[in-house]
Amino acid sequence: MMKMKKSQWVGLAILLALLAFSLGGMAFSPYSISQQDLNAIMESPSAIHWLGTDHFGRSMFTRMAHAVGLSFGLSLLCMFTSSLVGTAFGVWSVWGGKKVDVAMGIVVNILLALPGLVVVLLFAAIAPGSFLVLYLAISLVQWVEYFRVVRAVTQGVIQSPARQSSRMMGFGRWYQFKRHIWPAISPSVFTLAAFGGANAILTMASLGFVYVGIQPPLAELGLMTVELFPYYSEAPWLLAQPLVVIALMVFAFHLLAGKRA
Amino acid sequence: MSVLLKLTNVAVYVGDTCLLEPMSLELKQGEPLTILGQTGSGKSLLAQAIMGLLPDGLTVSGEIETFGKVMTIEERQALWGREMVMLPQEPWHSLDPLMKGVDQVKEVYRFVRGNSAEMSLAMAEDDLGQVGLVGNGHKRPDELSGGMAQRLAITAATAGGAHVILADEPTKGLDVSRRDGIVQLLQARSNLGSLLTITHDVSVARQLGGLLLVMKEGCLVEKGEAANLLDSPQDPYTRELIAAEPSAWSDIAPPIRRASSHDLLVADKLTLERGGRVLFEGLSFTIKQGEVVGIVGDSGCGKSSLGDALLNLLPVSAGKLTRFHKNAKPYQWLKLYQDPPSAFSSSVSLGQLLDDLVLLHDIDKARIAPLMTKLKLPAGILERNCLSVSGGELQRFAILRALLLDPVFLFADEPTSRLDPITAKEVTQLLVELATEANCAVLLVSHDPDLIQRTCHQVIAL
Repeated sequence: MMKMKKSQWVGLAILLALLAFSLGGMAFSPYSISQQDLNAIMESPSAIHWLGTDHFGRSMFTRMAHAVGLSFGLSLLCMFTSSLVGTAFGVWSVWGGKKVDVAMGIVVNILLALPGLVVVLLFAAIAPGSFLVLYLAISLVQWVEYFRVVRAVTQGVIQSPARQSSRMMGFGRWYQFKRHIWPAISPSVFTLAAFGGANAILTMASLGFVYVGIQPPLAELGLMTVELFPYYSEAPWLLAQPLVVIALMVFAFHLLAGKRA
Repeated sequence: MSVLLKLTNVAVYVGDTCLLEPMSLELKQGEPLTILGQTGSGKSLLAQAIMGLLPDGLTVSGEIETFGKVMTIEERQALWGREMVMLPQEPWHSLDPLMKGVDQVKEVYRFVRGNSAEMSLAMAEDDLGQVGLVGNGHKRPDELSGGMAQRLAITAATAGGAHVILADEPTKGLDVSRRDGIVQLLQARSNLGSLLTITHDVSVARQLGGLLLVMKEGCLVEKGEAANLLDSPQDPYTRELIAAEPSAWSDIAPPIRRASSHDLLVADKLTLERGGRVLFEGLSFTIKQGEVVGIVGDSGCGKSSLGDALLNLLPVSAGKLTRFHKNAKPYQWLKLYQDPPSAFSSSVSLGQLLDDLVLLHDIDKARIAPLMTKLKLPAGILERNCLSVSGGELQRFAILRALLLDPVFLFADEPTSRLDPITAKEVTQLLVELATEANCAVLLVSHDPDLIQRTCHQVIAL
C-alpha cells in the first residue's frame, strides 16, 4: 500500500510494543486492578510488583496494562468511527449535489463553532464514567476534520477528466470511488487518523484528570495521574508511569502520521 | 557582429549518464538562433545550463562564455533580468496570479531599473500599449487570454532591458493566430540584442529565421541557416520533423460510404452559454455514422464545450440535439482528452484499468492483443501506470480503451496538442483510421486548421 518512512516505522513499533505490554499485562498478571494490599503501599518496582504498587497497594503493572488497553481501545474505536463517518459524509456531500452539501455545511459549521473539548466535557458531564458516551462524544468532534479534508479533495477529483472518463465508460459509483477518489484522499485520511488517535488519548486523559471521564476503581491514564499526584514527592516513579505512557503514545501516533499534514 | 554567448563543448550529466552530448554554439548580435527538436531532446536542459538554472543533481561540463567572458554560475545569475533573461515554458504560470498586469511590468522598471514610481508606471503602460494590451493593464493574469498573458509575461521579462533573450517553447499551447503574434513580439524585443528560441514547432523556426540547430535525444543532428535547412534538410530526422507539420500532411481522411451511412446526430440551431457568456448561437449540423468531423476556432470559442454538449456533459441553452442510432448504449459515446495523464487513474496499472473494463462490459480479451499491435503499443505498457508512460503511448492506449467499447461517437478534444509533431501525426492517423474502420464517428477538435483540413470530412468553424 503506502511506503512508510523510517520515523513512521518507529512510531508503529512503539505503539505495537505498548499494545503488547497491555495485552500481556492483562492476560498474565496474577493481580486484578482493584486488589488492594494496604501492607504494601507505594513500593518501588520489585520482582513481585514489576512497576511497584500505588497508594492502596494495587499492582501498578496490572493497572497500567489495563489503562493502556483502555486508551488504545477508545482511540482506535474513535479513529475508525470518525474516519469512516467523515469520509463517507465528505464524499456524499460532493456527490449528493448542492442540497446535501449545504445541509452538511450547516451541521459542520455548528459543530465547528463549539470548542471540541467543551462538547466532549458536556457529554461526559451528562453521563460520567460511561465509556460509550465518551466514545460517541470524541467521534462526534473528530469526524468533522475528515469531512472537511475529504470534501475538499473529492471536489477536485469529481471534476477530473479521469473520473468523467470512467463514468462515461459505464463504471458505477463504487468503482469511481475505489479508483479515483480513494487513492486521492487516502494519504490525508491516514495522516488525520494518526493525529486523531493521539487526540482521542489526550481527550480521554484530560477528562480523567478532571474526574468526569472513566470513574474509579477503573484504571485510566488521566485518572491515575490525578490519583497519584498527591504522592509525587514520596513516590515520583508512580506518577511518572502514566505520564510517560501518555507522552509515548501521543509521540508514537504523531511519528506515525509522518511529516505531511 | 559581436558574439553575445559562446558555448564550447557544453554537456549535461546526471551522475555518469549524459543527457546532453557536448555541443558548441555561438549567439551573435542580431542573429537569432533557434533550437528545434522533440520533447525530451534536451533542448530545455541547454537553456537551463546557459542560465545556470539546472536542477540539483545535474552537472555541466564545458565552457559557457557570456559577453566574451567565462563566468561562474553566480556571475551569470547576477546578469539575470538586466543582461540575460529566460522566458520559461507556459509563462502564465510564472506571472503573479494576484497582481494587476501593469504592476507586474512596473515593478521591473521600479526595482530592476531603479526608476521612480510614477515614471515606472508610465513606462509600463507605454510597454503594454506597444504589445496591444491597452486597457487590459488592470486585469489579473487569470482574466487575460492565453495569448495576452504570454505577451504580458514577455513584456515583464524583457522590461529589465536584457540583450540576450532565451525563450523556451514560447508558443506552446497557443493558437496559430496567436503564435505568429508572439513570434513577432519576440523578434521586436530582441532587435537590440539577440534571441535564442527553443521550440518543437517547425513554423516558428521558419518565421524566426537566423541560425537553426536540430536536436534529437541530446545530440546535435543538423545545423545551418534556417531557410536553407528547412527547405533542403539533409538529415532523415529533420525531414521527419518537417513532414510532421500538419500543413505538410497528405490527406488522411479515409473515404466513407457517405451515401449509405445514416445520420448519427443532428444538431438544430444549437446555442451554448457558459458562465453567462454566449459561446455560439444557432449552430446546425449533421454528423453521419463513421464520419470524421473537425471543429476549428480560437481558444475560448467553445470548441470543447460543443463536444461536451454533444456528449450530454453540458446542458445546451437553446436548440435541439437529436441522437439517432437507438441501439447504441450510453457508454458508446466517448471522449478522448487533451492531457492524456489526467484522464487515467494513476493508482493502478494500465493493465488493471483494462481488466476492469473487460470485466464490466464482458469484452472478449482476445481483441486486445491485435488492437495493441495496430496501435503499436508494447505489451510491457500494461504493467506500468499512467505516469510512467509517454504521452503518445498513453493517448494511443486511450484510443485502445475507447475502441474496445465499440463506440459510435468519439469526441477527441485536442488529442494531440500536448504531443510532439511526429507523435501527433502518428496518433491522429491511427485515430482516424481505426475509428473509420469501426464505423465510429469522430469529432476532432484542434486549434490547427491545417490538421483539421487534412483529416476531416466535414469542418465546423466556430
